[in-house]
Amino acid sequence: MMDKEKLRKADFFSGGLITLFGMFVIVKSLGMPMKDSWGGVQNVWYVSPAIFPLFVGTMLVLLGGMLIRTALKAIGFSGVATVIRYFLSSGFVSFLRSRETVRFYGIALLLFTFVFLMVPRVDFFLAAILFLLAFFCMFYLDRAELLLKLMLLYCGGMVALIFVLIVAESLATLLSHPADWFVLVFIVSFAGVVRAQISGDSQLGKKFRIALILALAAPFLIGMIFKYFLLVPMPFEGLIVEILDLIWYAEIWG
Amino acid sequence: MLLDRIYAFFEIVASLAADPFTLGILFGSVFLGIMFGAMPGLTSTLGVALLTALTYSMDTPMAMVCLLAIYVGGTYGGSYASILINIPGTAAAAATAMDGYPLALKGEGGRAIGLTTTSSAIGTAISMLFVVAISPIISSFALQFTSFEFFLLAFFGILISGTLTSPDLVVKGWISGFLGLFLACVGRDQLQFYPRFTFGISELDSGIEVVPVLIGAFGIPQIIEVLKTQVQIGKAKKLQKIVPEIGTVIRNLPATVRSAFIGVGIGAVPGIGEDIAGWVSYGTAKNTSKHPETFGKGEYKGVLASETANNACVGGAMIPLLNLGIPGSPPAAMLLGALMLHGVTPGPMITFEHPTFIMEVAAILLLASMAMWVVGMLLAKQVVKVLRIPTPLFMPIIGVLCIIGSYSLGLSIFNLYLMLPVGIICYFLTSMGYPIAPLVIGVILGPMADENIRRALMVSQGSFMPIFQRPVSLILFLIIVFTVLSQTAWYKRGLARVKEKLFRSKHSAE
Repeated sequence: MMDKEKLRKADFFSGGLITLFGMFVIVKSLGMPMKDSWGGVQNVWYVSPAIFPLFVGTMLVLLGGMLIRTALKAIGFSGVATVIRYFLSSGFVSFLRSRETVRFYGIALLLFTFVFLMVPRVDFFLAAILFLLAFFCMFYLDRAELLLKLMLLYCGGMVALIFVLIVAESLATLLSHPADWFVLVFIVSFAGVVRAQISGDSQLGKKFRIALILALAAPFLIGMIFKYFLLVPMPFEGLIVEILDLIWYAEIWG
Repeated sequence: MLLDRIYAFFEIVASLAADPFTLGILFGSVFLGIMFGAMPGLTSTLGVALLTALTYSMDTPMAMVCLLAIYVGGTYGGSYASILINIPGTAAAAATAMDGYPLALKGEGGRAIGLTTTSSAIGTAISMLFVVAISPIISSFALQFTSFEFFLLAFFGILISGTLTSPDLVVKGWISGFLGLFLACVGRDQLQFYPRFTFGISELDSGIEVVPVLIGAFGIPQIIEVLKTQVQIGKAKKLQKIVPEIGTVIRNLPATVRSAFIGVGIGAVPGIGEDIAGWVSYGTAKNTSKHPETFGKGEYKGVLASETANNACVGGAMIPLLNLGIPGSPPAAMLLGALMLHGVTPGPMITFEHPTFIMEVAAILLLASMAMWVVGMLLAKQVVKVLRIPTPLFMPIIGVLCIIGSYSLGLSIFNLYLMLPVGIICYFLTSMGYPIAPLVIGVILGPMADENIRRALMVSQGSFMPIFQRPVSLILFLIIVFTVLSQTAWYKRGLARVKEKLFRSKHSAE
């Protein structure tokens, strides 16, 4: 959490956003049936579906207003002006480039690409291996210069994956599961690049080996518990799931 | 009647304890919970959240054994990191670090852990007694409630949770609660089936899935915070003898019982978690001590006070959860989500729909406290080893578990599209001093508040007068008004003036 002064400055803006959001809720609620008929039922105001959202929206506007008032009492309009000036200054740019902020970008990048790009379209095991490997290499190896390089490499890989996904249908005639094959190649390349970057540093080398083992083992452990013991189908079943199914159902259980 | 209940209770305890599979699950879950609690950054709430997905396919009693055991174990496990590395494993164990770490520095970490293990077990067992004794009273009382009372109760739950959990301004806690209520509005309304805030997205028609939202709200901010700030964990202090002397336990028994009462009381207040119970109990122990100057320098009573209270809070949180359907703490909110997934709707009707359910919960709590003591005493030295695992190694794995767990509840990828943005928003809210517990309580209590206010108005033909005509609603309404007014500047000024006058008249009389 931020310190008190920063909190009050942030409160002015978050209070504003909350107030605006409350207004949005009220406006949308006013569009709901209040006294008119809905589904053949003549409404009265007190059973309208709008009544509760209207109450919530009004409270958000009131509470947001209270927060703005408290913030202004503490920092004054001059404080607000300071914040706006800060947003336009080089100080804000250096904040955006600070180590903690860059780490946040890295975490957000990995989470968003995993959830929105890979999980619905790439074999879960491969997606999870890449996600974990990238996470471990960026944060467990913990070298600032390496973090930036790996983020760029990962971004490049994701852009290429989007391209592969776009042309996946045409590629499928040549190769089944083209996106899975791409991710597999990318995992190997990513690991190779990291190994090359840390070559000569025995401590990092040891950490990398642990990261690699864990990145490979954890998805199989988690995925197999869900898929074969809890009988939860994976979000996307591709190359690896097909192989595992073959082994699990055909070979092990006959 | 009471004897019948006691007999039924011990019958359930015996039947659970006689099943080796149940015992295995119980011990395994307690151990997992302790590991979860011990690792800085992982909380019992997250433990319950992740296990909810894994227990989805189990039958309800077995799932409850798993979830309650991980809750009890997780709450206790936080003390390891607090005592041995001065970083609370969970927020609930934050107060434990005050005296636990100084004790470890003196080479008495083992004794401190032994004492916290015993006091945590006693705290959980005492709270179990309250679940058994108070539940029927509350349940029969709650049967008299009408829709107005349920609306006011839900509203009170959100307000009190916002008031007491806010780390900064109280108004932020309330905003958080109303944001949760907004999320509960999304989807088709329960009375007229009108689509509210669905924006044409068909997946939103059935409303927001509670469990993925809870996983996002508790899991994602935790992952981001731990990995972003990169906390350097110090080397854990060594453990010596763990089993506490029986004399020390008996000598501290009155303090243990008092702390357990505090824990149960705070746990029973909607939305207030184990962390507050720990701090209040620690503060009380310090204020009532003959030697308050020893607190913070390695005082056993300090460690005992916070650990007993935070574990007693578990049972306390079960009381409103089971009898009113209102979670007493964030992990209890998660538990409520899990219960709903298993088709159990906690509330006043639970004694009719599932007559033995409350007894089963109490029996599981008792067995979990025993299992926790056994595991704590036997495996403490092994559990300590998890403190050596670097956080960047287990946090991403928790991320994968959050994602696959959210997906598996309903097999919907849309759950993930909801979970992650909610998690990111909750991260920003947390960093700006907004508490997350009221938001979660809002999401859970929203449908209850919405449905009941409209039903109540339908019965009263749009009149709010029944609030003032029914004694329980009037009391709840006055408590709500008092909760709001107590936060105003003029009330605080007035209170300060009254205190000053009283203080002066006392001095002049002397």
